Amino acid sequence: MDAYELTIADAAAMIRAKELSPVELTESVLSRIDAVEGKITAFATVTADVARAAAAAAEAEIAAGAYRGPLHGIPVGIKDLYETAGIPTTSSSAVRADYVPEQDCAVVEKLTAAGTVMVGKTHTHEFAFGAVTPTTRNPWDLEKIPGGSSGGSGAAVAAGECMVGMGSDTGGSIRIPASVCGTVGLKPTYGRVSRRGVASLSWSLDHVGPLTRTVRDTALVMNAIAGYDRSDPACVDVPVPDFAAGLLAGVAGLTIGVPTNFFTERVDPEVAAAVAAAVGVLVGLGAEVREVAIPLPEYILPTEWGLMLPEASAYHQEMLREKGDLYTADVRLFLEVGEFVLATDYIKALRARTLLQHAWRELFEGIDVLVAPTLAAPAVSADDLTLHWPDGTTEAATDAYVRFSAPANVTGLPSLSVPCGFTEGGLPIGMQIVGKPFAETTLLAVGQVYESATTWLDRRPAL
Amino acid sequence: MGDLVARSFPPLDVAALTARLEIPEDRAEVVLGSLTSAYEVIDVLDSLPLGETPPATAFDARWE
Repeated sequence: MDAYELTIADAAAMIRAKELSPVELTESVLSRIDAVEGKITAFATVTADVARAAAAAAEAEIAAGAYRGPLHGIPVGIKDLYETAGIPTTSSSAVRADYVPEQDCAVVEKLTAAGTVMVGKTHTHEFAFGAVTPTTRNPWDLEKIPGGSSGGSGAAVAAGECMVGMGSDTGGSIRIPASVCGTVGLKPTYGRVSRRGVASLSWSLDHVGPLTRTVRDTALVMNAIAGYDRSDPACVDVPVPDFAAGLLAGVAGLTIGVPTNFFTERVDPEVAAAVAAAVGVLVGLGAEVREVAIPLPEYILPTEWGLMLPEASAYHQEMLREKGDLYTADVRLFLEVGEFVLATDYIKALRARTLLQHAWRELFEGIDVLVAPTLAAPAVSADDLTLHWPDGTTEAATDAYVRFSAPANVTGLPSLSVPCGFTEGGLPIGMQIVGKPFAETTLLAVGQVYESATTWLDRRPAL
Repeated sequence: MGDLVARSFPPLDVAALTARLEIPEDRAEVVLGSLTSAYEVIDVLDSLPLGETPPATAFDARWE
């Protein structure tokens, strides 16, 4: 096994024991990037020199006895929405082609403090406004999309080009690429991780979080990045647990809510079967199941779009007028449309959100987590961004993907996507585990016990 | 909210003037079509009884 194939947890144990140096690990990852990046284009910028310097510094610190913890010397990819001092941060857009921030965003500050090694900036669907990431291809099938908007991070992690890819999630943009690229992806609770210095798509719906190969690796990253930050008005001052401490808690005694509506409608049969089988695994491990009805389902997407469209247009108001021609056609159109959503309708969406929050609180009475498909379908072709349903209808891929991921954005609840199988065509399928506010440790425990009981991690994309 | 009439957007230039956003003539049709589609989704909220429900906004008056 090459070093780039290790999990963070395994690499960290070897680094701590001085069986593997951060320099060796970083060189292995950079070699992997050289080998496969031409097929995938996961990165907007590869920061090899920065990585080599950081790896050398980490190696020297560790040799001197100053080991910082399990992320020390670990190669990371940072979504190109995240501001990085002295390194271009383009949001994968010509609008910001020349933007070089002077400061790191909050998450990068924390990752740097933990000793990580940044190997590059990963592609996003332009300004995170889409679920395709057209620059990038899926490592499992180069004809397929990697999802989005954090498609570069999903593809890079799946291909071994970094050990964690940071993402952002406004309607599913961490969990969508995680699902279609076969990685773990966590959208934490709204307010759990600071978004300072991350370009916004929609302030009231944006979340930031990690994509990794394993659940444990996600927990290790959360230990580094979670916590209150007054500079993000959405950040919540609540205790931060050790996300890795409860990973082996298991599911005995937990009640899993299984939806009887919404997540059962217009879903690919292979996806539905894989998630049903996964629930069966969890039951076999001691979980109880309760069927639940998703409340107010018809109002979830209207609320998502009613908030996101005008908020995105507000963020881009000046740039749209000054550089409108530089946006890609689909993003420019979304931004123009958002200009014409009335403030009264925006506030109506905010009020609907309150009702949805109350309804989901009632939904969780009697269950610990909700388990559902992360997405209605696996990755679509990059040449045909449309889902063709058995009843003859079609649906745009972004619309179909966001349909199942948006509830956790509207409610702000944490949601963890874990691989739960493959289609006959060899494409990954994801299962999302949604929890109560700030109950990420419960999600991680469920994800860990499922991951340990299955062998999906053993498969690697053939590149 | 069930008694609201359906929206009718033309002419788009009124809204564009309000927004102080120039929509080139050759783009007006596609923007109008997408706006109509967006409001077909958002207007589902018209049927949700909101009563005295406050908006899900937050403002923290603390300085630190």
